[in-house]
Amino acid sequence: MKMPRAARAALYLYGILTILFLYLPIISVGFASVSKARYLTFPIKRYDTKWYGKAIESSTVQDLLWTSLSVALLVTVISMVVGFFGALAFARYQWRFRRTFQKLILLPIFFPQAVLGLALLMWFNALGVIPSWKTAVVAHLVWISPITTLIIAIRAYSFDPALEEAARDMGASTWTVMKEVTGPLLLPGVVSAGLFAFLLSWGNFPLSLFTTGADSTLPEWLYAKMVSGYSPLVPSVGILSIATSIVLLLCGVITMWLLRPRNKFSSAHTG
Amino acid sequence: MERQDRRIGFLSAAPIGLILLVSFLAPLLVIGIFSVMPQKVFSLLNIPDFSSYKLVFTKGYSKSLLWSFGMAMTSTGILFVICWPLAFGMAKVFKSFSLVITIAVVVTLFVSENIRLFGWVLTLMKGGLIEGHLRTWTGFTFEGALYNVPVIVFGLVYAYFPFMLFPLVQGIAMVPDDARQAASDLGASRWQVFREIDLPLSAPGIVIGGLLSFVLAAGAMAESKLLGGQTVIVIADEIETAFTYGQNWPLGSALSIILILIIGSLSVFGVSRVNLDLIMGGKRS
Amino acid sequence: MSAEPILRLENVSKRFADFFALSEINLEIQEGEFLTIVGPSGSGKTTLIRILVGIEELTEGKIWLRNTRIEQLPANLRPTCMVFQSLALFPHRSVGENIEFPLKLRKQDPKRRRARANELLDLLHLPQSFYEKRIQECSGGERQRVALARALAFDPEIIFFDEPLSALDFRLRKDLEKELKDLHQRTGKTFVYITHSLEEAMIMSDRIAIMRRGRFEQIAVADEIYARPVSRFVAEFMGEVNLFDVEGTATGGLKGDGVEIYINAGDSGHLLNLSAGMRGVLVVRPETVRFMYPGETADFIVKGVLRAEYALGSRTQYKVEAQNGDELAVEKLREDRFLGQVGDQVMLGWNVEHTHMITEG
Repeated sequence: MKMPRAARAALYLYGILTILFLYLPIISVGFASVSKARYLTFPIKRYDTKWYGKAIESSTVQDLLWTSLSVALLVTVISMVVGFFGALAFARYQWRFRRTFQKLILLPIFFPQAVLGLALLMWFNALGVIPSWKTAVVAHLVWISPITTLIIAIRAYSFDPALEEAARDMGASTWTVMKEVTGPLLLPGVVSAGLFAFLLSWGNFPLSLFTTGADSTLPEWLYAKMVSGYSPLVPSVGILSIATSIVLLLCGVITMWLLRPRNKFSSAHTG
Repeated sequence: MERQDRRIGFLSAAPIGLILLVSFLAPLLVIGIFSVMPQKVFSLLNIPDFSSYKLVFTKGYSKSLLWSFGMAMTSTGILFVICWPLAFGMAKVFKSFSLVITIAVVVTLFVSENIRLFGWVLTLMKGGLIEGHLRTWTGFTFEGALYNVPVIVFGLVYAYFPFMLFPLVQGIAMVPDDARQAASDLGASRWQVFREIDLPLSAPGIVIGGLLSFVLAAGAMAESKLLGGQTVIVIADEIETAFTYGQNWPLGSALSIILILIIGSLSVFGVSRVNLDLIMGGKRS
Repeated sequence: MSAEPILRLENVSKRFADFFALSEINLEIQEGEFLTIVGPSGSGKTTLIRILVGIEELTEGKIWLRNTRIEQLPANLRPTCMVFQSLALFPHRSVGENIEFPLKLRKQDPKRRRARANELLDLLHLPQSFYEKRIQECSGGERQRVALARALAFDPEIIFFDEPLSALDFRLRKDLEKELKDLHQRTGKTFVYITHSLEEAMIMSDRIAIMRRGRFEQIAVADEIYARPVSRFVAEFMGEVNLFDVEGTATGGLKGDGVEIYINAGDSGHLLNLSAGMRGVLVVRPETVRFMYPGETADFIVKGVLRAEYALGSRTQYKVEAQNGDELAVEKLREDRFLGQVGDQVMLGWNVEHTHMITEG
């Protein structure tokens, strides 16, 4: 394009600086996690990885891990299924309330999570349900299933309806069409949506805070410790949490990569 | 095919519709009812009154509202200015670097907000990454950049950066290249192209990005607590206090309803002006 | 009166990484002429026009508009305008706003803009009521006219066209070709047009420039290119043609190493200017070839078998297989069509004055 060289270089530089800026705090936490001192000051005088060891051994941390994991896994599975169908309703089928539906789906995303968490707490209370990690699953779903729906919907938009129609024309039932045509075509979208769902649930704080009740997730514990009763385990636990996310992200990316060549029905982009 | 479509469409929407009905709309309804319950009760079976709303207006809770909205608007404005060049680059200039930035930004979203804000505390505090190293290398010291209003806005800008960036990228990508070139060819300067072509045609992206950042920032809590040390109490904080320490669910509900109404009407207004099929499908109808 | 050219290109080149999209282009465009640049896709014509308009930068070379060097000038400062292939109409503005856009940029007041817009609507045969119409509501042909009106609005010196008609159906294209020609005559502006359709070029232009792989092969009026192509490529580009590789003989005749040509011309070989041992390509247009009946003579004669006949309305095309296997094309007007059958033995003939010799360097 017509952009002068200097401007183009400046733009690239801007991009790189932005990325550095985004990761700076994470780098700080990283440094802190390997500091030997109990109370944090920079520059770090002595390095030690003992806090990681303590974190992994701590039964509190193990419980937190378990809770976070359970919530995230359940949320992932459910939101993937719900999102798959929701995406079809969003982008693919022309039905009467589609436009309203589209707007409705967006509302939970545009909603302050803290308020949502509190609202759900009251709702559970009104229903007589005791908050636990299971109720947190519901809370996460409210926010995350619209997101998975949108992610899969993006894929559903570029999907050629002629493929489904052809299958039907050849005699396939609705269920078969979904299994043989729609499913495989949307699979990459579903996988990336699932990835998003897990990671967003794993790191979520505001919703978990109010709806987990006696149980506690990793982010909740971190927050509590940051606000009062600081523990030197905080940076290490934080980094461990991030590490889990990264491992999962890689798994997801590898899964996506494995899925690609096998997809024979490469959806044609119209226009 | 059409009638089948209608039926399947409806059925497909059912699962998520159900979730939202039961866990989103119902709780909102509950809050609505609680907001007109008398003070400090925990059951819905009371005679409605508007005492909570009266409290909100007389006891100066509107100050928190103003702080929240003020900071949200400031951070949204700042975000628009800093994200636009990057979004433009990603949509029109960069090729594979676009993907790099996308992944880099998305990965930060997967790191819990707490951890990232904590990281800023570590970076900006006295004895932190910046001040500590500065002191050791140059002897220059400062009190630490935390516990004031600007750093809260900074935190908001940081936290909601992706929510402005990605919609902007989508919006700018919708501006046809040839329209920009034609405008230039017809005599438009760079600024005129921006004003006459870029802005109007990327409006859907701007609206969604701005709305998203504003709404999320208005309801945010962590930034003011962790970075601001509560020099300013934001509305979400007041709501939480009312529900937990204050033991006053009706008050909390009333505050929530006011927040929801303001944010809700903005969202509904903004989203109704945007053609979602267009911005998500990328097709011009 | 030999006028100063309005646009002059000197050794313009454009390089992308490892290949040259344009190599040392030299061109002079006269004021008020309708020049069409024709070439297959990838020949560089779009790149050239974008460089002339200012949307892309050249790697080397100079461009003069009258007496001013413009190659470093940005697009918005050049007194030129382009009609894009996609038309590039602003979807968020009405017809009238689109047309007035260049005037609004130049800070003309609304009354004058409106008057000029109305003037242009008239010029392009669009009703005045179109002023408020949304672009999305306009048909293909209507959009074309809006794009033209917008391009003319600020009175540019040169208007460039990037294959604007290629997306339209046949009837619409034909109509617009005539209108463009008409517009050119009425406005007297310099039009530089690109297309891959030879026919379009021949209908509308004063001169045609044939482009191939970043270079101009030939720039001349249509008839000149047709009758006297300078290269094999141009000859083939201009339509169905019979080409024979020949060599000059010592006696001033011709020796073909493809089809066996019985040259009956005696000393007419020297008319073709091929010296002994020199190679050339003999160009024979299908319509100049005739079926020979017994007793007739011609300068060149070929024997063969009629393999195919295609009735194309006003003309009929024939394919004849010569004795050595080569295929020749013959074209006759319907009223002169061959009265024999496919499979018949035939004799084809043509005269020297209908041929052209290409001597490729």
